[in-house]
Amino acid sequence: MLQFLVDTALRASDLALIALGLSMVYGLVKFPNIAHVQYAMLGAYLTFFLRAAGVPLVGAIVLSCAATGLFTLAMHLLVFRRLLRSGPAIAMIGSLAVAMLIVAVLQGVAGSFPRMFDLPLSAPHEFGDARMTNTQLLTVGTTLLLLVLFSLLLFFTRAGRAMRALASNRALADASGLNAERITRVVNFGSGAIAGLGGSMLALSTGAHLNLGHDLLLPVFAAAILGGLGNPLGAVAGGVLIAFTETAVTNLNFGFLFGKPVAFLPVAYIGAASFLILLLALLFKPYGLFDRQVRRV
Amino acid sequence: MTAVTAPLLQVRSVAKAFGGNRVLEDVSFQVEPGEIVGLLGPNGSGKSTLLNLVTGFERIDQGEVHFEGGRIDRLPAHRIVDRALGRTFQLPSMPTKMSVIEVAMAAATARHGFFDTLLGTRAAREAEERARVEADALLKEFLLTPVRDLPSSALSGGQKKLLGIVCALMGKPRLLMLDEPTAGVHPNLRNDIVQALQRLNGQGMTIVIVEHDMHFIREVCTRCIVLDRGHIVASCRPDELSSNERVLQAYLGGGRAATEPEKANA
Amino acid sequence: MSDFLISSFTIAGIYALMALGLNLQAGWSGLLNFGHIAFAGLGAYATGIVIQAGGSGWTGALVGVGLAMALGWAVARLGRQLGSDYWGIATLAIAEILRTIATNEGWLTGGAQGISAIPSLFDGLPRPWNAVAFLGLVLAVVAVAALSLRRVANGRFGRALRLMREEPQLAACMGYDLKSLKTRAIMAGAAVTALAGSLYAHYMSFAGPDYMVASETFLIWTMVMIGGMGNTAGVLVGVLLVQAAYSAVPFAKDFFGFGSDLAGALRLGLIGLILLACLLWRSEGLVPEKLRKIPA
Repeated sequence: MLQFLVDTALRASDLALIALGLSMVYGLVKFPNIAHVQYAMLGAYLTFFLRAAGVPLVGAIVLSCAATGLFTLAMHLLVFRRLLRSGPAIAMIGSLAVAMLIVAVLQGVAGSFPRMFDLPLSAPHEFGDARMTNTQLLTVGTTLLLLVLFSLLLFFTRAGRAMRALASNRALADASGLNAERITRVVNFGSGAIAGLGGSMLALSTGAHLNLGHDLLLPVFAAAILGGLGNPLGAVAGGVLIAFTETAVTNLNFGFLFGKPVAFLPVAYIGAASFLILLLALLFKPYGLFDRQVRRV
Repeated sequence: MTAVTAPLLQVRSVAKAFGGNRVLEDVSFQVEPGEIVGLLGPNGSGKSTLLNLVTGFERIDQGEVHFEGGRIDRLPAHRIVDRALGRTFQLPSMPTKMSVIEVAMAAATARHGFFDTLLGTRAAREAEERARVEADALLKEFLLTPVRDLPSSALSGGQKKLLGIVCALMGKPRLLMLDEPTAGVHPNLRNDIVQALQRLNGQGMTIVIVEHDMHFIREVCTRCIVLDRGHIVASCRPDELSSNERVLQAYLGGGRAATEPEKANA
Repeated sequence: MSDFLISSFTIAGIYALMALGLNLQAGWSGLLNFGHIAFAGLGAYATGIVIQAGGSGWTGALVGVGLAMALGWAVARLGRQLGSDYWGIATLAIAEILRTIATNEGWLTGGAQGISAIPSLFDGLPRPWNAVAFLGLVLAVVAVAALSLRRVANGRFGRALRLMREEPQLAACMGYDLKSLKTRAIMAGAAVTALAGSLYAHYMSFAGPDYMVASETFLIWTMVMIGGMGNTAGVLVGVLLVQAAYSAVPFAKDFFGFGSDLAGALRLGLIGLILLACLLWRSEGLVPEKLRKIPA
């Protein structure tokens, strides 16, 4: 039972930060940025290379996040701000191009072989019937810490209020004197940095590999849409739901359905489970589970 | 007094609210064939909403709408148009990648489908030709021939309104509902619109016009229905408007909405 | 060299069909279908499965087209409630689900191994005439598809689509059923694309789940956007350009002697760069959609 919770928490923290970043930026730019998951992959690779160059792990992660944040900001300034003038559809396709470029550059520089982090081995800690390695503890702990910090920022600081105001009604916020462009820039940097962090931590277990971004695309989008795009903490909740479903689906013994003692869903279908949830969500609650606004159809 | 002919359009006790805002309450009126009815009222009285409700672009909360004896309030907009009820928009937005003549041709009623076009059948070609001829004729009538081949988004606001009327007319409506046809239109053009509408009415078309311009109303309409804050406050001839208490109150801001909405009948 | 040219043009032709199918949805109807490749996948697998079961290539192609149209109908239904960018993500999800099913349901699809030994058409002819004949077939199908679709685009149906993509309210007040228009556009696009999938299966003698990776959809989108969205000739130009870039890279690889990772990266990067440049400086594409001329 406890292992179930641990698995859910692990998977949720894989997704949470990246989904949060995606949702946060969407509130301001109003287009789904397909390149966002590739920012996570970029962060992972940067961390790897920094560490390979001798920088200690924590330092490497911090530097990598900063660099990823700067890159995200650069993309916003150079590419997306312009493309948005032609509409969200063009911006979305542009994000596709940026995603392709990131993958291409990383493939050219790092090659298609996954780059594993050689972390010091240690015995996993045991909590009841659950086991967690140091890395996993670090990941979940950091994620929780960041979520707490982010919530505090969002609800108790002026910057956070400004962000929320801008996301819910841009015109009004602009008129009341908030500097929309500056806030958008800061948020872009932040979401990139958080994505880089999420990617780096994920890569600690799986290694930095070229499919890291693409494999995250649908689960992260599913989480963000479930929470309602533009609702960053909702995206985290969405991530938890997806993690829970994936864990449940893999651990459930469907043998009773087929009259066999044991029948588990093939591993590959875990991914399909989150896509299915996404589809169901889009069918019944396209604006997210927490949507309370009455909309005229 | 019972009408000899059945009313063309019947609106019964229609109500509509957006969120907590009650835009229309217990609105009832009829339009007889051959009339030109003006729908007036100050800003916010619900005129455009009423038009949207009748033509299917909004759903009514309560009440019924009947057209030519059949109930239309549950139908989607495109099905209502099929029944020969045409409309225009207050702020017509036109596509950037289509020429004026193409937009007008798009409004043609000829029903040849995907496969006819694909196979290039004679039926398809003839229908296209007829559509083009009709469209060109209407464009000429509304003085749009000089801009025929320009992108339709390049037209001036007044010209776009005319194009909107052309599109509505291509559908051969028996009832035409216009949303502020002369707002923002050059005075010369305005006279052309007046004449065109009178011509159409002479040929038997029934027209309902949502308007602000009192002069236009007096020139064109046979009857006026006045809305104030979601209620009908008057139904009379245009020349009776200036002497009607409730109309004056509505426009001069009397302060209280009508407590007994009038049922507007011919 | 001539083998290479025949092969390149055959593949370009097959992609051209898929791009034309996407153009119908994205270019003329304004629908953001990011799962487009699923239609081709259905065509390829239908051909493979039917032939393995003893049926003919024709039957396989027909079944593929039917399945793709059914998927198109379902996907269009989904669009009734969704905004266009959400719908794009939903189509992406559906294509991925289908790919996952194809990878796992070995009993039907051969799993990750796919279905092999699909007979190439014209096997009876000696080399190189079998390849030439196949190329001829592909080009003929492309020509028929391009001309037919262009005719449809210029006719009443296409006019309605093009109006709907920019001014849906105006289209509705002209009596057009927008939902029906979208459904028909998607189904027609699906049919053409499924045909391409069937041809590809015959060409490669193989149908596998990798045919349906998301990057294939993105590649076709790139072809359509670079060439000219909404312009039939433009789409064909885009296909040729991207195919040329794709084919040039292996030459560069041999010439400069770099590894296959770098070659793959270069291909992807080149395409991404061209797409981005296009979007930033010429978002209409190289051969943009023009106003149709209607003589008085």
